[in-house]
Amino acid sequence: MKRYSVLLIVMAMTLSLLVLAACESEEETVASRLDTVQERGNVICASRNDVPGYGSLDAAGNNVGFDIDLCRALAAAVLGDPNAIEIRLITAAERGPTVQSGEVDMLVRTVTWTTSRDAQWGNYAQTMFFDGQGFMVRKSLGVSSALELKEATVCVTQGTTTELNLEDFSRQNNLDIEPLTFEDTDAVVAAYESGQCDAFTNDNSQLAALGTALQNRDDHVILPETISEEPLGPVVPHGDDQWFDIVKTVMGILIYAEAYGVTSADVPSAATGDTKVDRLFGLEGSFGQETLGISNTAAQNVIRSVGNYGEIYARNLGPNGINLPREGGRNALWSDAPCTDCPKGGQIYAAPLR
Amino acid sequence: MPSWQAVLRGLTYEGIPLWRHTRIIQWVLQVVSGILVVVLVVWFFANISGAIQDRDIPHGFGFLSREYQTSIGQHFLPYESTDSFLYAFVVATTNTIIVSILGVILATALGIFIGVSRMSGNWLVSKAALVYIEFFRNVPLLVQLFFWFYIVLALPTIQEEYVIADMLHINNRGVSMPWPDPVSAGAAWMFPVVLVVAAFAGVAVHRAMQRRETLTGAASYPMVLGVGASILIVAIGWVALSIAFDGAPFTISVPEARETQGGSHLHLGGFTASAGLMALLVGLVMYTSSFIAEIVRAGIQSVGRGQREAARSLGLPYLKALRHVTFPQSLRVIVPPMISQYLNLTKNSSLAGAIGFSDLTNVAKTMTQTAPAVSIFLLIMLAYLAMSLTYSLIGNLYNRHIRFS
Repeated sequence: MKRYSVLLIVMAMTLSLLVLAACESEEETVASRLDTVQERGNVICASRNDVPGYGSLDAAGNNVGFDIDLCRALAAAVLGDPNAIEIRLITAAERGPTVQSGEVDMLVRTVTWTTSRDAQWGNYAQTMFFDGQGFMVRKSLGVSSALELKEATVCVTQGTTTELNLEDFSRQNNLDIEPLTFEDTDAVVAAYESGQCDAFTNDNSQLAALGTALQNRDDHVILPETISEEPLGPVVPHGDDQWFDIVKTVMGILIYAEAYGVTSADVPSAATGDTKVDRLFGLEGSFGQETLGISNTAAQNVIRSVGNYGEIYARNLGPNGINLPREGGRNALWSDAPCTDCPKGGQIYAAPLR
Repeated sequence: MPSWQAVLRGLTYEGIPLWRHTRIIQWVLQVVSGILVVVLVVWFFANISGAIQDRDIPHGFGFLSREYQTSIGQHFLPYESTDSFLYAFVVATTNTIIVSILGVILATALGIFIGVSRMSGNWLVSKAALVYIEFFRNVPLLVQLFFWFYIVLALPTIQEEYVIADMLHINNRGVSMPWPDPVSAGAAWMFPVVLVVAAFAGVAVHRAMQRRETLTGAASYPMVLGVGASILIVAIGWVALSIAFDGAPFTISVPEARETQGGSHLHLGGFTASAGLMALLVGLVMYTSSFIAEIVRAGIQSVGRGQREAARSLGLPYLKALRHVTFPQSLRVIVPPMISQYLNLTKNSSLAGAIGFSDLTNVAKTMTQTAPAVSIFLLIMLAYLAMSLTYSLIGNLYNRHIRFS
């Protein structure tokens, strides 16, 4: 009798498996990501919590930072609630697979825009920060240029363009730099601080951010050379153009709110008479909200909850954050309010909202 | 038309209805479970390849012949960043293999020592071994690796390194030590052959002398004569190669510190074990040896008490009784779980990336920057699988050998 029951169980398993496989293949219609997100009730972002300014933890244990705020802005736009986010912490090397698989709605983890990543990983929505790779060394080493780092040991985080740029730089200039590769940025800083490597390399902004954690910041100096272009911005999975457009638009909302001089404190809820401002906040006309599938007043939610680009920058990277200068640099706006072609010298610019 | 009951009754084999015949039932079960396995495997792979195609995830192996263009930290095979992905992968795999072989040897030696100490009649020795085992067995390996890594970091910097006898340079980037340096390629390749011959000859002499001792009872010093024979053959081989190739096969290269243009220091010559390698080896050996110690203890305790008492009553001292009577009998219990520990050590070495050693996983993860991740991870899995299966094979052969001898 026992043998029969085993047989029955095995057959039942086979049958259920076949039925399962059959069901699976029928589910061909894929819901749009916007529908999925609205049904799920939160936006899932892949990010980090180990670099002050971009993604770190505050005293209460909340995720804060420039990248986190971009995620909050997206949640405010599509769900009306900036706190409806889930942050997935990933390492640098995990970024590609994570966004390729589509398991997250947006990747915002200081990701440099490159052509091969754009082709392989996902779509880059918008450059939100212009960065470049540099070197930090001890002043006692007596080096004043990265070109003097001949045969030096340089610490670098694994799975980053930083690692590839370092090799290019070393080869171009015959420096024979020896890289020391770690999985985590924390280990890189520890190794550098103990003198295991002569220099450590990363994007200049992160050098500044991580530098705040060094014991004697004044003993260290960031070398003047920038050896790479590192445009940073959010990435969305391939295959959903609507979602890609929404993310681009939300980034545009942040940038234009600053250009129009609207901060979180003075978001209008009734028409102001300024056509551009009224269009942005859904009080007059449209910039394509209904085609994108977001509410007409999405910008009101976004700016009221996270502030405009300038506020996000000031809070995380500027005077209230890691104190990276903005005025006169590439990360200033392209124009000075109120006219749109009074040059301000920066490169932060997005597709006009109309 | 016969009724269906009649048809059913007609379905018999050896006079027994099919559904009651044990052999038929067993056959059906085998076939069904076979189909089930095939369906599962096919479904699994179809799912993966379907998902890869749906999401346009890059795959394929064309990248292997491309230039890798990235450097690798410490490597035991010669490597330039202009080498191909395939070769870089081989270099990284060699790093892992060398770590695992060194780790296995050291962990076995330390594990047996600790395991035997644990059984010692000396209270202090036994308890010290107990503390060692319980500490290293119960703290996660990654935590231990970071612990050793931070200890290495606390060593002096390369500018202020410890130098012992002008030979050993110790700093927080690693330890530089004197190392044999091949003079001519021919002699360098021939010398390992001499070593293998010497090892076999040594074992043969040891066995012959041991047999003589067992048969005649006359003291024959198998260990002394065996090792002596090996040394003699190595010496003769060395001299012969020196004459044949016009110079000794190896010279000893001593590391020398030199200041770089960048104001740092560098070692020329000798061999430098990087800090990551040392922390990784120490961590892996300490962790694995605590498990091996327990396996050894279990093995020795599995041998009947009477065996040890009989050996002692024949007049064998404690250590001799352990070596000739108890330990050989415990091997059949020790070897199978020991193989698992060796496999664990090999696989655990993939944590090396955390402390900056360029093992297979660390290098391959960097490769995913410029090559398809799916293919890379498939290669990583295959490489570890090949390594583990080889170790298992060797272990199982040895296991069979001790079971039947």
